[in-house]
Amino acid sequence: MKQILRLRINNQNYEVYAPIHKTLLEILREDLNLTGTKHGCELGECGTCTVLIDGEPVLSCLILPVAVQGRAITTIEGMADGIMPHPLQTAFAELGAAQCGYCTPGMLLTSKALLDQNPQPTRDEIKHALAGNLCRCTGYTKIYEAVEQASKT
Amino acid sequence: MKSFELHDAGTVQEAVALLNKFGPSAKIVAGGSDLVTGVMKDWVHGKGMPIPEKLIDVTAIPEMIGITIAANGGATIGAATTLTSITESKDLDQKWAVLTQSAASVASPLIRNFGTLGGNINQRPRCWFLRGEHFDCYKKGGDFCFAVTGDNRYHAIIGGELCYIVHPSDVATSLLALNASANIAGPSGTRAVAFDSYFTGPREDVLRENVLKHDELMVNVTIPALAPNTKTAWSKLKDRQVYDFALVSVAVVVTQENGAWRDGRIVLGGVAPVPYRAKVIEQALVGKNIKDTIKAAASTLKTVARPMSLNAYKVDLAINLIERTVLNAL
Amino acid sequence: MPNNHNLSVIGHAQIKIDAMGKVTGETKYADDLVLPRMVYGKLLRSVYPHARIIGIDASRARALPGVFAVITGKDLPIKYGIMPSTQDEEALCVDRVRFVGDPVAAVAAIDEETAERALELIEVEYEPLAPVMNIRDALDEKFPQIHAYADHHNIHKFVALEFGDLDAGFRAAEYVREDVFFYEGDTHLAMEEHACIGHFSADGKLTLYSSTQTPHYVHRALEKALQFPRGHIRVIAAPVGGGFGGKTDPFSHEVVACKLSMLTGRPVKITLTREEVFYTHRGRHPVLMWIKSGVKRDGQITALHFKTILDGGAYGSYGIASTYYTGALQTVTYKIPTYKFEGVRVFTNKPPCGPKRGHGTPQPRFGLEVHLDKIARELNLDPAEMRRKYVVDDGTQTVNHLTITSCGLRECIDEVVKASDWKNRKSQIPNSKSQIKRGLGIACSSYLSGAGLPIYWNDLPHSGVIVKVDRGGGVAVFCGSTDIGQGSDSLLAYIAAEEFGLKPQDIKVFSADTDLTPVDLGSYSSRVTVMTGNACIQAARIVKEKILQASAEKLLVPPASLAMRDGVVICEDDENRKLSFVQAINLAEAKFGTLTGTGSYKPPKRAGPFKGSGVGPSPSYSYSACVAAVAVDTETGEVKVEKLFLAHDGGRAINPLSVIGQTEGSAYMGFGEALMEESAFRKNMHKIPSLLDYKSPTTLDTPELHAILVETIDPEGPYGAKEAGQGPLLPVPPAIANAIFDAVGVRIDEVPITPDKVLRALEEKSKGNAPRFGPKDFPVIKMPEAIKVEPPDAKHAPRLVQ
Repeated sequence: MKQILRLRINNQNYEVYAPIHKTLLEILREDLNLTGTKHGCELGECGTCTVLIDGEPVLSCLILPVAVQGRAITTIEGMADGIMPHPLQTAFAELGAAQCGYCTPGMLLTSKALLDQNPQPTRDEIKHALAGNLCRCTGYTKIYEAVEQASKT
Repeated sequence: MKSFELHDAGTVQEAVALLNKFGPSAKIVAGGSDLVTGVMKDWVHGKGMPIPEKLIDVTAIPEMIGITIAANGGATIGAATTLTSITESKDLDQKWAVLTQSAASVASPLIRNFGTLGGNINQRPRCWFLRGEHFDCYKKGGDFCFAVTGDNRYHAIIGGELCYIVHPSDVATSLLALNASANIAGPSGTRAVAFDSYFTGPREDVLRENVLKHDELMVNVTIPALAPNTKTAWSKLKDRQVYDFALVSVAVVVTQENGAWRDGRIVLGGVAPVPYRAKVIEQALVGKNIKDTIKAAASTLKTVARPMSLNAYKVDLAINLIERTVLNAL
Repeated sequence: MPNNHNLSVIGHAQIKIDAMGKVTGETKYADDLVLPRMVYGKLLRSVYPHARIIGIDASRARALPGVFAVITGKDLPIKYGIMPSTQDEEALCVDRVRFVGDPVAAVAAIDEETAERALELIEVEYEPLAPVMNIRDALDEKFPQIHAYADHHNIHKFVALEFGDLDAGFRAAEYVREDVFFYEGDTHLAMEEHACIGHFSADGKLTLYSSTQTPHYVHRALEKALQFPRGHIRVIAAPVGGGFGGKTDPFSHEVVACKLSMLTGRPVKITLTREEVFYTHRGRHPVLMWIKSGVKRDGQITALHFKTILDGGAYGSYGIASTYYTGALQTVTYKIPTYKFEGVRVFTNKPPCGPKRGHGTPQPRFGLEVHLDKIARELNLDPAEMRRKYVVDDGTQTVNHLTITSCGLRECIDEVVKASDWKNRKSQIPNSKSQIKRGLGIACSSYLSGAGLPIYWNDLPHSGVIVKVDRGGGVAVFCGSTDIGQGSDSLLAYIAAEEFGLKPQDIKVFSADTDLTPVDLGSYSSRVTVMTGNACIQAARIVKEKILQASAEKLLVPPASLAMRDGVVICEDDENRKLSFVQAINLAEAKFGTLTGTGSYKPPKRAGPFKGSGVGPSPSYSYSACVAAVAVDTETGEVKVEKLFLAHDGGRAINPLSVIGQTEGSAYMGFGEALMEESAFRKNMHKIPSLLDYKSPTTLDTPELHAILVETIDPEGPYGAKEAGQGPLLPVPPAIANAIFDAVGVRIDEVPITPDKVLRALEEKSKGNAPRFGPKDFPVIKMPEAIKVEPPDAKHAPRLVQ
């Protein structure tokens, strides 16, 4: 069963004709070539595929895109303002918070949602906000430091 | 993912009509965290657990979403309300902290932002044999429980029979402690079922975990006001602080009178095929000073526990956690 | 700290050259690549742990619309494998499957869904065989043999080596102790699932894009498995989304994608699911260990006898090296005058084990460091002081012929002792009445900066670098090394920038492409910084010499008076005499022709004079010391690691930010192995192979990490650098186990240390039994006679004190 999806992603409107059982993750990567969103399990267990829906971080591998039509979807490609990186992106790069970089898009979007709601989070609040995003490289410390640096800019 | 038909329901009546029309091949979907991964993407099926062909989306039904505090002091929470909405509700947290805390201990923030109350209560169990492709167990319509002779570290210590799953829901555990009830819509109207009788153990019907019939759905959950001098507490032990299901969880609701247990409930998650109300411990506490009695009372769990080959440690964990959680509630 | 003021790039915190690509989502990992006309491949995998393949009927799959090709083992019958002596893998099993997940057939189809449907239509008839699921089964000859080439039945490999006079060592001892330990297997769990595209193009050439750490070895394996000339194959490693050793073997999906492309003429992409990644594995070997040592009353070791049994899983992989590694590096931390090592690797019907961060050394390190802690307690010695006293010295050789060029372990111990307030640890102060008990534990370790010998015997460089300077000012560095997130591309840029007086952002790096770049053996064994770093310095300096010579002629000064810094070539004696970088290189190109320099690195030949000496030698060794601070809940058995203090001697830190990042990441991974992670099996199946059941630590589990750098300037390393990517993992699990003992007085002699094990040990303690959880005994195995090796006769070699 195919259908036309009307999605608003990074402030652009898209129409996609796709099978109904494709997840939002698959639509983003395969139909819209927005490959910045990564996959680590496709079972909702790692946070790698995080995107924002109306500013809230959710797992795109679990979401049926029909359920988010008309809502504001933000992916990593929508984080910078044109060629101006978001302060979080700069901080992640400067402090070595991205090693292999594969969890980084999800980490950044979850961090963005946190700072949008809570511009000056404590270390503990950062840990709780990022609790669903797994990273295997960094031990998370550099990520906390980057979020803290971005919160000061 | 397996292909399916998706149907939007605008009202509860429409959802019921669709369920009725399609029969057992249809399932309700809201957040989808369990249905999409566990069933549609995964391999969890068998002759007693067919893969659904039709999904009915209930997230646009207004009466299934939101939190209402009633004049009598109780609350009603729509089944399609997200877990994050529950954890962030100040009203709920002030009156029923055991519920907001249990909701906050579910999976990860990313799941709670999309996962719903009804989805969490009604999710399928997490037994690794049930979720393993090659194990045709009782729950999938087979004729064996692989946990009996296999690795049963995380399995039931109480109430297992045929099947030794543990109920996976944290919020179900706290709702039972709060004496809440589910409002269920079906072809002949709505019925309220107290959580006391909502869950179905394997002895009654190994293919299901609750009383919902295939043409019924949970509309909302009602929580009564707590009696004066009532306090609550929640604890959940898990191997990992995020994503994990409970090794043991404890929800306590206790009404005190001069330090004595007047009334209340102690409900355990992660130990039995249904959220388990530890009446044996409650009875040992009634009328007694809680601080003096709790240690001995908690250890009476041993009289009802029947651990398997590798999970006796859960009995000790549960006893210690009950004692600690009851004391935390005071 | 070393003096970095003569260096403008090296030793200073730098942003990585690929960082902005990674934070914007622009970096293209293998699964992000899409080629025109691309189709999708999928592998059908065995559902039996051990079975004969009686027949495969793929006719229904072939008939499915949208299917381009279906292949089975008959189409790829040539065996391959990473080690020359264990060529035991088939891209698709021919007549036998050896673990659940072993691939038996593959399809290429128009999309993944069609490919999956086609797999369901392939009928495989199996004759199940008894599965060998653990070490005990593997030693029991009643079970069927898994590979005919094994040393003995299901014993893949025996290793027995004795260095010095062990008996004399034990006779000199004043205290002798034996212990048994078990280290459960675990896996890398890189966040990126393996992916590749095979593309057999119209010109008859084959290209493979893959998430691999070792494009060179994949290149070799493809030649063999496909019987296609290597000169016509190109392997390109895409940026790797985490490796940790999990992407260092040539894999069946890589061979299959190429074969399917050769059959269909289309690019074929295969992306593994997370479940398949668990089957692909090559993770940490489960190791059962027996250790006996003799010591003097002050803790000085007089003899060490160490035995290991590695549960290797279904294939060889790097297993022979892993087996040697469980013994080889035990001697590199403390002075050990006599040493006997006996290692056994067995085959079992589980996904093959291989190299994971620390390759074969975290397990024996766990055993040794907990054993030493027990000795310290018995002898009433401070565990930190006892270790510190007998640390190896610079410029010495170990009893098994390994050369220590620099050792900062003593400083590492001092740093963590200071940072953790070690002297006030709980065992020194009575514990509180609370059910939460706190304690500190220490452990040390050492790791190699690259293997001294290649995987296959040859006399060729281990790493090659080409530096090319363009008349427009562009500097390009070409190297076969593979950036897996550790920053190896950035390393090349830092070095070229340092040598040419430019900024790292001015350098373009082309890496990991077997057609464009000279060979580098790959990102494994912590070899890249030292080996590509040295090759890059050599290549850059060849070009630099030409630039300086041409500039000197122009500026009428001697070349030795010139320096390159801040984008100019400048005379140190007369700063008015200078040329811009572009002017200088144009002069050089005019004089010498196209400006390139090549660098090649081969490690010093230091292997000892005995069979098996190839595993262990390295240009240099890193050192680490860790103190873990734990809180143990005596009612639930939960262990919370509150802090990890980790001091690491990685030589000069080329980019301190990255070295701290590697140290923190290693500490994190060691923590996960100590408490949570395990590759466990039940009912002959992998315990649900998912990120839910495999417990990777989250932000809320991970302790506070305190990384401390101790920078010795090593003579072998580029600017004095050693390794940092693996070594810091090693001391973490034993430090945690020792801290648990400090807190509650029980020994958990196996990892992962889960709450149920802690509770059981506490229960034993309360009953007055041995306060311990762990393996009870070590199987008796008829071992071959040990090869007796004389210790090196260098005057600084450790000598037995009688």
